[in-house]
Amino acid sequence: MTPAIAPPLAIALEDVEKRYPNGTLANSGVSFTVAAGEIHALVGENGAGKSTVMKMLYGLERPTAGILRLHGRRVDFHHPGDAIAAGVGLVAQHLNLVPSLTVAENVVLGHEPRRPGGRLDRTAAAVRVRELVEQSGLAVDPAATVASLPVGVRQRVEILKVLHRGARILLLDEPTAVLTPPETATLFATLRQLADAGRTILVITHKLDEVRALADGVTVLCQGRVTGSARMAALDEGALSRLMVGGDVPAPPVRRATRTHAPPRVVARDLGYVDDDGAVRLRDVGLDVAPGEILGIAGVEGNGQDVLARLLSGAAVPSAGEARLDGRVFTGLSPRAVRAQGVAVVTEDRLHDGAAPTLSIVDNLLATRYTRPPLSRRGLIDRGAARRWAQAVIDGFGVRAAGPHQPMGALSGGNMQKLILAREIADAPAFLIASQPTRGVDIAAASALHARLAALRDQGAAILLISADLDELLALSDRIAVLYRGRIVARFAAGAVDARTLGLHMTGLGPTVDGGDHDAVA
Amino acid sequence: MMPSREGARIALAVAAALALGFAVMACVSDQPWAAFRALLTGPLPSIDHTADGRVVVHRLVRFGAWLQDATTLTLVGLAIAIPFRARQFSLGADGQLFMGALAAAAVSLALGDVPAALPLAFLAAAAAAATWGLLPGLLKTRFEANEIVTTLMLNVVAVQIYRLVVGRVLNDPTAGFITTPPLPDAATLAPLIARTTVTAMVLVAPVAVAAALFLLRRTTLGYEIDLAGANPWFAARAGVPVARATMVAFALGGAFAGLAGFHVSNALLKRLPVDLTPGIGLEGIVVALLARGRVGALPLAALGYAYLRVGAQAMERATDVPREVVLVIQALIILFVVSDRLAPLALGLLRRVRASMGRRTA
Repeated sequence: MTPAIAPPLAIALEDVEKRYPNGTLANSGVSFTVAAGEIHALVGENGAGKSTVMKMLYGLERPTAGILRLHGRRVDFHHPGDAIAAGVGLVAQHLNLVPSLTVAENVVLGHEPRRPGGRLDRTAAAVRVRELVEQSGLAVDPAATVASLPVGVRQRVEILKVLHRGARILLLDEPTAVLTPPETATLFATLRQLADAGRTILVITHKLDEVRALADGVTVLCQGRVTGSARMAALDEGALSRLMVGGDVPAPPVRRATRTHAPPRVVARDLGYVDDDGAVRLRDVGLDVAPGEILGIAGVEGNGQDVLARLLSGAAVPSAGEARLDGRVFTGLSPRAVRAQGVAVVTEDRLHDGAAPTLSIVDNLLATRYTRPPLSRRGLIDRGAARRWAQAVIDGFGVRAAGPHQPMGALSGGNMQKLILAREIADAPAFLIASQPTRGVDIAAASALHARLAALRDQGAAILLISADLDELLALSDRIAVLYRGRIVARFAAGAVDARTLGLHMTGLGPTVDGGDHDAVA
Repeated sequence: MMPSREGARIALAVAAALALGFAVMACVSDQPWAAFRALLTGPLPSIDHTADGRVVVHRLVRFGAWLQDATTLTLVGLAIAIPFRARQFSLGADGQLFMGALAAAAVSLALGDVPAALPLAFLAAAAAAATWGLLPGLLKTRFEANEIVTTLMLNVVAVQIYRLVVGRVLNDPTAGFITTPPLPDAATLAPLIARTTVTAMVLVAPVAVAAALFLLRRTTLGYEIDLAGANPWFAARAGVPVARATMVAFALGGAFAGLAGFHVSNALLKRLPVDLTPGIGLEGIVVALLARGRVGALPLAALGYAYLRVGAQAMERATDVPREVVLVIQALIILFVVSDRLAPLALGLLRRVRASMGRRTA
């Protein structure tokens, strides 16, 4: 059965184990191989140990047992410098670029061509980057300032940076998390081209369709172990799904057939926001959300979604317009006053303003409810009640945690997000603003979160769902509005639009189909 | 990290610092052993048996000095550690202590020999220092003024106000030096141990720590301070009044420094000289550092630090080693304790040496 000429293996892991000093077993008995010139997808739930594999290959962590081989040679990296010297490059999920420098300067940063005397040779740097651009087909202007580039282009700069350092093996950690569908397509084409040129690519992803579109081979990790490894050619659709979720894919929540004709609970008119630098971030935004309705907001990041969420949750005061919940104005108030009116918010960046990673699960859950019984009375917190509630949430939401006193930061993204949503819906809000509720969350956790959102909707809450994940928007929303450069440029009823059309409008390429300054309900 | 392991780590750091300190002593002294002994046993009373079987305790003064230093240091440690829970680097314990002492003395002198003088002086000290502590909190939350700068500046202002008031307003012209009159007896605390200045304040310090712990762990106010410190952006989005929590943390810290001021004026000195030396407030930072910002560990850290201070004085008096050497040892201890990765590094090295030796014998 073995072919006469097997392709040489670029990456081989043999029974690799990683146990952290605190006893956590991140990887155990992990073995898989990636052929040279192959694009290999590493998939699995949050906390499955995918990132740890990446870190070991990049010298950020050392395996506690087992063997790593690159191009047939055994390696033992002590720090990333060793890995870079061995031709490994990492494109991190969070881009590490200096916004004020040019593309060329960013690419050569750390490995600069120098003139005699040690000064940076800008001409040589520009020439070098131009060469790289031509060889790789990554379309970037080397003279552009990084701050002026959209995120998809910035990611190309990151890839150029890695290529500049001579990487033969590229590691990418969730590269599409920040990209629009067209940008994703471009990235995949680029990666394919790099692989065809003989480079080996290992990519972490959560999304089934991406694995299908991109990968030659796939390895599935679950709780630190390899649960499956296959060539894509040998898999049909169902087999891949089952491999990834360890069972059949849970069905997406059923959209209600009947639409209510109730008057809208949330009415926003002419919302506008001008930031401190005088830039208009949001203009003339009008929205209606009926009880029991999910209004989806699509848009490429930075087109006003974050501002909209901030205005509606009391984190910023609109420069124009107002929004009402059940007839009462709730914009321009403090976050506490907004919450008191029945508004809840799942913020976009859970580690920045959605949780306190150093504090315990209990303390994180308390944040929006600590002022009232049953969790506190006369200024005294009932620690017992808080702990019992936290335990109930952990059990009820299927959160994988050691206990209520575990620090929030020790949890995986999906578990953290479950706790955040649990906190926000605990008081049955009338209006929930959910920004990127399943970003970076594995499939099983995402569908659990979707089910909770649907349940809240069915209780009669109005939900504003802001998401960069078009599949999520299409699956959950009753209507979808597209934000582009701070304006709503298009509105669609669910089922009347597909991802491609949304993508066009998100990038400003679609014809404006906004009927007026607000929606018509029903 | 588990508390027991943390304790072992700190013990290791202190032992290493003392060993290094001994090496320094051996370089500068002809009698390093005597000096080391004086340093380590100085604060302890010595117990002798006389010929007729009576027990005599010597050097109680130094023992008392240890306890009273630890009391002051615990309270000023609280003044640093509580704002730090809100991630505010307050260096203002000195100024708050001076304001507390001044308020306590002024109230005591104004009320005279009445029973209410003592509790009212106590409250006045806490209130005055809390108000003084609130200032940098206001400046921070209203005008985004860096609290490190404002607290240090306000220290200078407080000390000068203190000198002005003691020198011009509360001055006792009959004293022969610039000072307030002696405080009325009813307003001062009597020593608990004869021949020392150890008063009931030695019990107030742990009570203050317990109160602070209760406040931080069990009240909504303490929760707000913790949350504002752990992630102010999250706290704001969740509806927590971050600015208020920050100001409360500053004011609370100030109140405890004010109690330290009361300790100085109404328990230790019983009158306030114009040249009261600033600096003890800054040592509160050292104590808070040694306790790694943990409120519950402050009394222990203060006891340990005060022990070294008093031991240093004993050593200086008894031997030829200057007390600067002790400052070196104190600095080493702090360096070792706060260097998180040093102990694991040393332990790892030890393990590697042991492993390689094991291989050789095998």
